[in-house]
Amino acid sequence: MVWIALGCLLAGVLCGLFFFPPEVTAFFTGNSERFLWALMFLVGISVGLSKGVFARVKGYGLRVLLLPLSITAASAAAGLLCAPLTGMGPGESMAIASGMGWYSLTGILLTDLAGAEVGAIAFLGNLLRETISFLIIPWIAAHLNHYTAIAPAGATSEDTTLAVLIRCTREEIVVLAVFNGVLCSAVVPVLVRFFYGVL
Amino acid sequence: MTTILIMFAGVLAGATVFPRGLKKWNGWLQLGMTGLLIFTMGVSLGSRPGFLEELGAIGLKSLIFAVLPILASVALVYPVSRRFLERPDEKEGGED
Repeated sequence: MVWIALGCLLAGVLCGLFFFPPEVTAFFTGNSERFLWALMFLVGISVGLSKGVFARVKGYGLRVLLLPLSITAASAAAGLLCAPLTGMGPGESMAIASGMGWYSLTGILLTDLAGAEVGAIAFLGNLLRETISFLIIPWIAAHLNHYTAIAPAGATSEDTTLAVLIRCTREEIVVLAVFNGVLCSAVVPVLVRFFYGVL
Repeated sequence: MTTILIMFAGVLAGATVFPRGLKKWNGWLQLGMTGLLIFTMGVSLGSRPGFLEELGAIGLKSLIFAVLPILASVALVYPVSRRFLERPDEKEGGED
């Protein structure tokens, strides 16, 4: 899976950079949401075909909150570590890292709050988080455990990276990933503003 | 929200009308769509105006902001999941 992901990503970047005329690029970028919808429908079918998946997820009880809480806390703490390494302020750094892969929102929010350069770093940093997640989720699922495969995905585990998660884990984990993605996405705008405003 | 609703429609279809015998085909289609989605992401990255220059100027900082949160999330979620989420009957360390 990791080779497929890497090959598709590299091929896409090269085509976007050198080969595709603007109208072909526009076809792909303009339809990316439809591709995602088609994929989510297929993923939903897999979940629906799996008997008893919701009962198993219900069995976790409040422990399902551990995944989004851990990922959010770890991302924000990592933001603090990024500050001295990048020469940026702790508030900016934690705000960027709290994007948890939601590059469009974090980029726009921080462009408004902190200016174009911080916004661009937030956009690219979170885009790279999503991209790297595509590549390392298969390894994490195979060598650590299926729950940990959700960790790099952060807020994107409810949509784009869910595609890789369904290939590398199991239906029960997909339901947990959607739950995690919804909660992480809900706190992203709050945390980005909070960290930038307070620190 | 639309994405979640569409996925929910898929869950309903899978639980009610979708033929179980086509499960494998559904898996292959998912793989194809996943590849298409990642390819599309690459296209949109590569076609960004000034992508290479942007990568050169703020690439290292952005990479740090991508890698450290990933490492920290994995480092925290792994022990938490081992302690609180894994069931004794779960097979670990392999793809399903």
